Amino acid sequence: MRSRLTVTLAALLTVALAGCTQGGKPADSAKSGGGTVELTMLTFETPNLPASLWDSAIARVEQKVPGVKIKKLVTPNVDRTTYAKQLASSGQLPDIMIAVNPQGFAEGGQLAEFTQDDLKDFADPTSGAIKGKIYQLPTNAQPQSLLYYNKDDFAKAKITAPPKTWAEFLADCGKLKAAGITPIAVGGGGQDTFASMYTWVGTVGTDVYLSDPDFSKQITDGSKTFDDPAFVKATDKVAQLAKLGYLDKQGTSRSYADHEKAFRAGSAAMYPMGSWFATSADNDKPKFGVGVFAWPSDDGKAVVPNLTGGGLSVSAKAENVDLAKKFALEWTKDKETSDAFTKADGTFNTIKGYQPPADMGPLFKETLAIYNQAVKDQTVTPALSIEQGDNGLPADMTVPVQQIAVEVLNGKSDAKAAVTKLNKEYASLK
Amino acid sequence: MRRSSSRSVREFAGFALPGLFLYGLLVLVPIGWTVVLGFTDRNRFAAATHWVGFDQFQRLFADDQFWLVLKNTFVVTAIVVVVPNALGLAIALLLNSNTLLYRLLRSVFFTPVILSGIVVSVIWQSMLRPGGVLDQVGWLSDPSIALYSISGIICWQMLGFCVVVYLAGLNGVPRELYEAAIVDGAGWWRRFGSITWPMIASAVTINTVMLLISGFKVYEHILVLTNGGPGRNTTASIAFDVIEKGVRGDRIGFAAAEATVMLAIIVALSGVVLRVLRRREVHL
Amino acid sequence: MKALRPIGAVALAALFFFPVYVVVTGMLKPVKDIQSSPLGLPMPPTTANLGAVLGREDGLYWSALLNSVQITVLSVVALTLLSAMLAHYLVRSTARWTRPALLMLLSGLMIPPAVILQPITQVLGAVGLMNSVVGVVCANVAYYLPFGVFVFAGFIGGVPVEMEEAASIDGASRFRLFWQVVFPTLRPAAASVMIFLGVWVWNDFLTPLIVLGPESGTTVTVGVYRSVGEYSTNFGTLYAFSFLASLPVLLFFVALQKQFVAGLTAGAVK
Repeated sequence: MRSRLTVTLAALLTVALAGCTQGGKPADSAKSGGGTVELTMLTFETPNLPASLWDSAIARVEQKVPGVKIKKLVTPNVDRTTYAKQLASSGQLPDIMIAVNPQGFAEGGQLAEFTQDDLKDFADPTSGAIKGKIYQLPTNAQPQSLLYYNKDDFAKAKITAPPKTWAEFLADCGKLKAAGITPIAVGGGGQDTFASMYTWVGTVGTDVYLSDPDFSKQITDGSKTFDDPAFVKATDKVAQLAKLGYLDKQGTSRSYADHEKAFRAGSAAMYPMGSWFATSADNDKPKFGVGVFAWPSDDGKAVVPNLTGGGLSVSAKAENVDLAKKFALEWTKDKETSDAFTKADGTFNTIKGYQPPADMGPLFKETLAIYNQAVKDQTVTPALSIEQGDNGLPADMTVPVQQIAVEVLNGKSDAKAAVTKLNKEYASLK
Repeated sequence: MRRSSSRSVREFAGFALPGLFLYGLLVLVPIGWTVVLGFTDRNRFAAATHWVGFDQFQRLFADDQFWLVLKNTFVVTAIVVVVPNALGLAIALLLNSNTLLYRLLRSVFFTPVILSGIVVSVIWQSMLRPGGVLDQVGWLSDPSIALYSISGIICWQMLGFCVVVYLAGLNGVPRELYEAAIVDGAGWWRRFGSITWPMIASAVTINTVMLLISGFKVYEHILVLTNGGPGRNTTASIAFDVIEKGVRGDRIGFAAAEATVMLAIIVALSGVVLRVLRRREVHL
Repeated sequence: MKALRPIGAVALAALFFFPVYVVVTGMLKPVKDIQSSPLGLPMPPTTANLGAVLGREDGLYWSALLNSVQITVLSVVALTLLSAMLAHYLVRSTARWTRPALLMLLSGLMIPPAVILQPITQVLGAVGLMNSVVGVVCANVAYYLPFGVFVFAGFIGGVPVEMEEAASIDGASRFRLFWQVVFPTLRPAAASVMIFLGVWVWNDFLTPLIVLGPESGTTVTVGVYRSVGEYSTNFGTLYAFSFLASLPVLLFFVALQKQFVAGLTAGAVK
């Protein structure tokens, strides 16, 4: 009798603990109440994309899709793809996600497919396809690496025009160094390893992807390896920059935000970065004039590594997939939202007929002109480690590639060592 | 220590159950699950999972990165076990006095113990980054230094704990012993070696166990300070790599094999620790 | 020689305390002063950084604080009770399996949570506790149970069993026997268990990050991590968030400091 009492009490305690299961969860009734569906949407915040921007865009698009209530989720850092995986691994994949690499998720059947009819308003409706199907709206083009430069530094080193060829580029780096100016800024410390990629993204663009845009695909199907001569050459270009002392090596421990801040403070003459820096510099002008040029190839082509994608994806298990897709499409078509993102993050919207706001800043316009010229010259390429879909490397290569990039930047690995490591990493994935 | 009661203790079994139940469900089952997964090719996005026997382990042992990460784990743990232990004892000897000043200083040393690994890392990152107050030699950007920087930061955080445990131990040494030794003409080192050291043996053990635990589980510091870099895995630990591959990446089977190896190491070490604990008369 | 000791001790402590000084003065300075004179005193001090954290539009700090308090209080209370009961049973019982059980628990003491986190989320998902405060509490209780048992078992070993026997002869029920006779004698050990676990649970990162998930918000510790990217150009605000995230646990510790030292001397170090 007595021992049963003890057991009962102990059991009660356990039940009491388990009792308040509904604790922090939104009550189920809220989801179906009044005919509205609550959908979760995964967003990320950067200095360019603060909470307020997301909140107002969500509120605006909610109005256009009756019956949808969005619960905003925020990634703990900029790396939303790994965070989405982290969530998926515990069964919490959000209903709607923005700018998450769909690779893997799509093959695993976790994402809803967008039909050609859904995509009829997009200028580039096949971009980022996975086995020919689209799982992430190709909402915008965003050059991933261009060379933004400090005009004062260039003037001091008596460089009159941006370099047109790789040889000129090296010569200009030499002039800058001789003038006591660090030629190229480097970043990617703390959680922001991704920020270390942009120099390599540039040289792989000029030396590999320009002539061979399917390089990653060939890696995946085994017809090429990373010791492909073109890739070695591209890697060696970065290694040479490091060896010649043209890179700010200490920068590898700079967080992304510190990286930008250091360039603004004049730490180096050139800042390899995506087009989002253009709007950042337009919105908050540095003390010096900023110019921009594309990555120069050996024979004088202006190469723009780019990612078209960046849009929304919808979970195949969303509470209401159709409504979620409708929300995603409305989000993309909402002019005000597109304007807000264009202004804040330097994206080029790829909805047919979209025109960026007339009051965009000069550096954005300059960047857009370079991109448009590259589109015309067919010198737009994929961006190493950032590319997605059928043409991309497996998602599990992203972190190794970024970390090996740091080794090339700080001189720990030369080109040969780096490609050997990449081959090993790739082999270990299979 | 373990006594048999004349009462039938079976009646208390109800008291043991809730704790054991939760431990079983959320520690033992996950351990078992991890070991099982280590023998499969489970991948987050693959439609099917197959038994692959020891394949994952073979690949793990053939992978340079695994050995690097294992080495990092041991380097961090070794530093974290030795340095705060030694420095902690020295500082405890220095502060071993019950005046207000010394009690105040004790709290100073203890403060970092109460802070989270995240907060501690954020603070140090802000000081060590290029342009920070203590920016000198690329603390976090030089691959040959970064691992030691991280270890040092963890030592800074754990030092106060050791100080307080040693002070508690020193407090338990009877004054008369020292007085008698002084009468016998024993010098400081003699007294330390023959009185203090044996009397604080259990404090050494407690500290060592706690530091071992902290060393093995280091994760947040790496995440915030270096994210495993600079370069490929130069500062990644096993815990960090398992999360990287199995939770943030797709290779669940491979990560599980890596976790299983870690678990085996821990079980072996716990055996040693337990034996030491018992010999040292730490009550269990 | 005599005067050297206090001077040396103070100098050492000052050196040691330097990072804390940087944070506390930094959060009271405008950003530009942190860059230009990181070591200077904040003159005049500003509360703008603290205000920015407390007054965030999304209320991150306050919602995270609520989660942290809930998780810590529930976990610590449950842990103290469950581990005291379990330790008492394991120490007093003559059953054969208690020895292996104790061993098993103790090997759990050293397992990094990262290593078994993935399956923990599967189990919690299967019983419907993912994304909830209760899920985090359950994971914490299971994970930290060995530590509680470790401390309590050491302590119970030193309490004479005769007292319990006397009480049981008086006809006290087991339940009353434990709570009225045994548990009060464990108070110093309970204090150190509560303090240790309170601090650890408050500072936990991975478990709340992954088990609580984004839908139920974050804890303050995860909140600091989340704001690193956001505030990385504004260290004053980042310091303020770090300070505010640590303040409750610092106060908790200061309030219980006496018991902590007593518990450490009485329970853990014998």
